[in-house]
Amino acid sequence: MRHPRPQILFFNPVRHALRKYQELASVAQVEVISSTNRLEFFKDLEKKYKDITAIYSKFDAELIQKLPASLKFICHNGAGYDAIDIQACTARGITVTNAPDPVTNATADLTLFLLLGAIRQLNPSLGSLRKGAFKTGVDFGHDPQGKILGIIGMGRIGRAVKRRAEPFGLKTIYHNRNQLTEAEAAGAPYVSFHELLTKSDIISLHVPLNSQTRYMIGADEIAKMKDSVVIVNTARGAIIDEAAMAAALDSGKIASVGLDVYENEPEINKTLMGNERALLIPHLGTHTTETLAAMESLAMENARRGCFGESLLTVVTEQQEGKSL
Amino acid sequence: MIHKEMFLSVLRTSEVLFVFPKASPKSLCHFPKHIKTRTRSYHSSRPQSTNTKPVATGIRKMGSIQKPKVLLIGSITHAKEEWDALKDVADPIVVKSTNRSDFLAEAKSGAFDGVVTAFRSFTSMSITGQFDSEILSSIPTLRFLCQNGAGYDPINISDCTSAGVQVCNVPIIADDATSDTAIFLMLGALRMFNPCMATLRTGEFKGPAFKLGHDPRGKVLGILGMGGIGREVARKAGVFGMKVQYYNRKKLSEEMSGGATYVGFDELLGTSDVLSLNLPLNANTRHIISTAEFAKMKQDVVIVNTARGPVMDEAALVESLESGKVRSAGLDVYEEEPKIHPGLIKNPNVILLPHVGTLTYETQKAMEVFTIENVRRAVEEGRLNGLVPEQAHLAKS
Repeated sequence: MRHPRPQILFFNPVRHALRKYQELASVAQVEVISSTNRLEFFKDLEKKYKDITAIYSKFDAELIQKLPASLKFICHNGAGYDAIDIQACTARGITVTNAPDPVTNATADLTLFLLLGAIRQLNPSLGSLRKGAFKTGVDFGHDPQGKILGIIGMGRIGRAVKRRAEPFGLKTIYHNRNQLTEAEAAGAPYVSFHELLTKSDIISLHVPLNSQTRYMIGADEIAKMKDSVVIVNTARGAIIDEAAMAAALDSGKIASVGLDVYENEPEINKTLMGNERALLIPHLGTHTTETLAAMESLAMENARRGCFGESLLTVVTEQQEGKSL
Repeated sequence: MIHKEMFLSVLRTSEVLFVFPKASPKSLCHFPKHIKTRTRSYHSSRPQSTNTKPVATGIRKMGSIQKPKVLLIGSITHAKEEWDALKDVADPIVVKSTNRSDFLAEAKSGAFDGVVTAFRSFTSMSITGQFDSEILSSIPTLRFLCQNGAGYDPINISDCTSAGVQVCNVPIIADDATSDTAIFLMLGALRMFNPCMATLRTGEFKGPAFKLGHDPRGKVLGILGMGGIGREVARKAGVFGMKVQYYNRKKLSEEMSGGATYVGFDELLGTSDVLSLNLPLNANTRHIISTAEFAKMKQDVVIVNTARGPVMDEAALVESLESGKVRSAGLDVYEEEPKIHPGLIKNPNVILLPHVGTLTYETQKAMEVFTIENVRRAVEEGRLNGLVPEQAHLAKS
């Protein structure tokens, strides 16, 4: 028996885009998951959730296999979807959407905070003040003006970072899977990965995490970088070999790092944590009321469209037109 | 001031010419200079000093020339070569004293006799304290005081003017580093990064201290003091999608203000989501932000201060943070540095830097080089490049 209204299952309650949630509730049957553990959820999938059409979520691959046949859409409430096995979804005829745009500005803003904090070597002074030493023993930092910023991954976020870098006098170069048009690159020269590593004073990562990008920055790549390079990562921790980065920071090859993400969140490499020249934020890339509300709204809108046969707004790249579903 | 043409006409018509050895030829031909910086050139609107008093020139003595004395109060960290290069035109003396009473005694002993120009480093506050009439009286030959900093609040300008001492500071060069610091603090405070940065290092990733932040996009940034630094903060904030408004002693042209809206002081307080203090400290601006001003601000306002601690009543700020009126603050300066109000230290919502606004190799070196150039200019030409605004009346045209 089909439910009169499509059923959308929420893995996390909506906290910010409450009005949108109410609107959705008037056209669909919305429910926040009540299963308290994985096994219970698997049982529920056979009973009360057996007719769900869409899931608004963050969850892993094994679950996909357990999902009912009615499930056609997974509307991920985030930009990075490395935790979702897209191939498995595609094989089961499930379309996955993510929320790329709302995260752009918040992530780019955080990138600048980390970049400024790292090039200016501000973390040690934050610490010395709190220890009561004011600025005793604090070293000089560097100005960003005239330095070369190498952006790895010139998607929406990479381009937003370049726009923000301009008034600080940074000269941007970039590497990307494909070269961008002049207009998209806004004047930034396209360089090879190797050239970016050797020429940049500051390197900022803005690639998604996948099999090609995992550990793309390791000991070999760090060795090619300029002495006293600054590294910023607001993408995914596993793009960098965290232990290699920690060692290079200790040796001074890397002058400072600004990080929002880590290989094994919430664990952080101990050597890294122990180095005061590491400016560390616990994955707060999009943690603002405005951005979270925008992400929630987008995921809900995709869920609503999926349920009513309207075209989806933000299907993940791997499943877009031209690729087999 | 004698113009070149006048001098030449005097030469042509005179039968006898008296040459006054103390008048340096360069002072007869005065052309305005542009102040150039590392990043952009700037047409100087700053008053150029005039050679109002004769410069002590070389005096023949026992077959050797004694060079004019220049005094270093404090230390040179980066531009040591440039300072040493002064030896070809001057005799540099370094102050040995480490406190005010010793300084006065050292002066009394004759160590600073004949000093005409002084380089005052940022750290010299601990040596002389306020640079006032008592200090000035101890060096009666002083004519030029070159402050190595953008701020010059420890110098009593009216005492200097009364004593016939011209003062220059370092305009423009500090603008980038200070505004970069303001943007870092603003983002840190708006985004509420401080609580989690602290707990992360104790092993808790996000922890219970975690609070959601706000995006700068669409927020109103109010700048108090639209000088070089305020304008740079405005320019940089624009790229984060903020709307900028400002209050300044006088309204700026559209071009200078970069399109920011000029508003009254109360309107600035009442309508800004973020308030950035970028004004100098002087008798008019001490505690310009205090209890009454916090009451006029928006609920959940964010405060950024990279100017001087005493422009804001620190205790009143602490009260406003505790009441929740002020959501968060980003500070680089404090009323009684290095002492910080304990209410700030224990508040997790504030991001605090220990006055590192210009603490970079590049900016510190450029500032020292600029100031040393002014010392040289004072010795060689009897004038300074860029008098402080309060001494504008000392400059001609």
